Amino acid sequence: MKRPAVRTSAVFLTVAFLLSACTQTNPVGTNPTTAPSAAPGSSSAIPIGIALAQTSNVALLGQEGIAGAKIAEKYFNDKGGIDGTPIKLIVQDTGGEEAGAINAFQTLISQNKVVGIVGPTLSQQAFSADPIAERTKVPVIGASNTAKGIPEIGDYVARVSAPVSIVAPLSLKAALKLNPNIKKVAVFYAQNDAFSKSETEIFQQTVKDQKLDLVTVQKFQTSDTDFQTQTTNTINLKPDLVIISGLAADGGNLVRQLRELGYKGTIVGGNGFNTSNIFNVCKVLCDGVLVAQAYSPEYSSEVNAAFRTAYLNQYKKEPPQFSAQAFAAVQVYAEALKALNQKTKISTMPLPQLRTELNRQLLAGTYQTPLGEIGFTPVGDVKQKEFYVAQLKVDADGNNGKFALVK
Amino acid sequence: MDITLFLQQFLNGLSIGSIYAIFALGYTLIFSILGIINFAHGALFTLGAYFTYALMGGTFGFNGLFANASLPIKLPFALALILGSTLAGLVGVGIERVAFRPLRRKGSDPLLTVVSSLGVALVIVNLIQYLVGAESYSFPANTYGNLPPSINFGTGENPIPIRSVQIVIFSVCVIILAILTYCINRTKFGKAMKAVAEDPITASLLGINTDFFIVLTFFVSSFLAGLAGTLVGSSVSIAGPYLGIAFGLKGLAVIVLGGLGSIPGAVLGGLAIGLVEAFVPSDYSAYKDAFAFGILFIMLIVRPQGLLGRRLIQKV
Repeated sequence: MKRPAVRTSAVFLTVAFLLSACTQTNPVGTNPTTAPSAAPGSSSAIPIGIALAQTSNVALLGQEGIAGAKIAEKYFNDKGGIDGTPIKLIVQDTGGEEAGAINAFQTLISQNKVVGIVGPTLSQQAFSADPIAERTKVPVIGASNTAKGIPEIGDYVARVSAPVSIVAPLSLKAALKLNPNIKKVAVFYAQNDAFSKSETEIFQQTVKDQKLDLVTVQKFQTSDTDFQTQTTNTINLKPDLVIISGLAADGGNLVRQLRELGYKGTIVGGNGFNTSNIFNVCKVLCDGVLVAQAYSPEYSSEVNAAFRTAYLNQYKKEPPQFSAQAFAAVQVYAEALKALNQKTKISTMPLPQLRTELNRQLLAGTYQTPLGEIGFTPVGDVKQKEFYVAQLKVDADGNNGKFALVK
Repeated sequence: MDITLFLQQFLNGLSIGSIYAIFALGYTLIFSILGIINFAHGALFTLGAYFTYALMGGTFGFNGLFANASLPIKLPFALALILGSTLAGLVGVGIERVAFRPLRRKGSDPLLTVVSSLGVALVIVNLIQYLVGAESYSFPANTYGNLPPSINFGTGENPIPIRSVQIVIFSVCVIILAILTYCINRTKFGKAMKAVAEDPITASLLGINTDFFIVLTFFVSSFLAGLAGTLVGSSVSIAGPYLGIAFGLKGLAVIVLGGLGSIPGAVLGGLAIGLVEAFVPSDYSAYKDAFAFGILFIMLIVRPQGLLGRRLIQKV
């Protein structure tokens, strides 16, 4: 027997998994909540589940969401919580896969006994995990799920993230307004990402509707870093406009390689570009990229000013869209809980009843969020009043960038 | 396919392949000495890139436990590259000391070493994420001084642009190959390393300090991982803590294709996989990994020892 050897191996794997666990389960509050049949008592905080990615290659998006949700938790608790009872976020890591999202949902529902869930990060995770919440009648609000068909998953599934079908065409139309001579268009998309596939279909349909010439459609994977083959093929076709549906890391690298290889035309980025993290990837080479936005830090309102200030103080950069949407999702829960509590004391309700009543209440309300005024359609899709198109403006040294609104 | 497109994709293939080759050189070095795969190599690749980034910019970034923490110094790229790679090399030495040596001393099954190195890789990747977050980071635009973004190898009508950073990586790959080949074949150190690789017990009886040469191999291999990580990071940004893990799988394919333990084979395998990927039709470019591994699969059936590997002779 080689026990010491086995022990050494086991020690390393154990340490690895423990370290993973450190980032995977991170209850924001103190104690888990009450028994399955009991509602959260007035003395304990009201648990809201956050199922977002803290690990994997989509961790960046999930971490943006968690940052926004935590700011919302503090903001609403500072304002008195739910008539004196604080809310408490319980964060479960979904990773980047469907299985991780399912596990996170199951833990939040059955062990943490949350009243509702914000998440998961990716649309493709939502298609797998949301039906679990639907079956157990737990409200879910997607804060970053923009693919077609998310609210239709069930009665308990809603979202504050505007569908791609509304947002995506705006940036293409802005590009045509800035340069009416655009004729030839090349499209790139990450084929392993449900959202990017959904978004590219909208973009390609808009290209056809605008009677433009779609010269090539190039596919890649979100895990790719090198795009030389695709970019040189595309540059040879001399497009006037390139549209990219991908995430910040792969999309940013694609922009960088297009520019370095000499492409000088207009670039439109999809929703994955809508984060200040894009500046870290392509720096000054991102300058001029057009992005449609469901959130603008420049939107003027009391709650957005508070959110923006809190974010700037903590992270020293402008808040990204996913943070604003996660804030809005927590806000919907906080305000719906408050409205419900004023009708019937929520501490008297059994948890299953509270979840059902909360779902009904949140769909009925309107909310003044950092995204502007939002409400929900009967099926649970967001009704949002304001949308924006921004152009990335980056300093010559590439260290500072911002999303400048295109008027 | 016209000649311009062919040349374009050929040069693309060489530049992509040189990235795989430079990654695989360190991988294969440990295999050639110890006969094991160090799965922590990808994590060291990432770590080297972060070390150099921090040393060059004087900051660890905006996320994680080290958010906005700064270093008292900012080094020029060349110096940061050497120091960052050296730090990766030292981490590699630490890994050898705590995760490999105890198992080797006990004469453990090589499978346990694989598990141990996988554990180390997970620890490092999670530590990076915990300390500096999952954010992507890019090296500054002036990292390579006044080098133009790309160089055109074609004419006005038929441009063949190649990114300058790719040419730098290709050149570094050739230089490292030459240095390694010289050191291993022509120096006393190299000959001693080969003796340890051939038979550590006999080497030890001949007065060679096997532990020292194994540590040296880990240092050189991890230094190369850090160097490769930095060069790739400067080419495509440091795309998060998992950057090296993605390259790790490709690196494994490269050393198997080139011939396990063969240093020129690692370079040849890297270039071959890069060329296969470059010539995948653009409509199927998202499936380039499947093409690359498909070629590897066919190669294993036709020539199991790889392109430059030696056929195993079984004594009876």
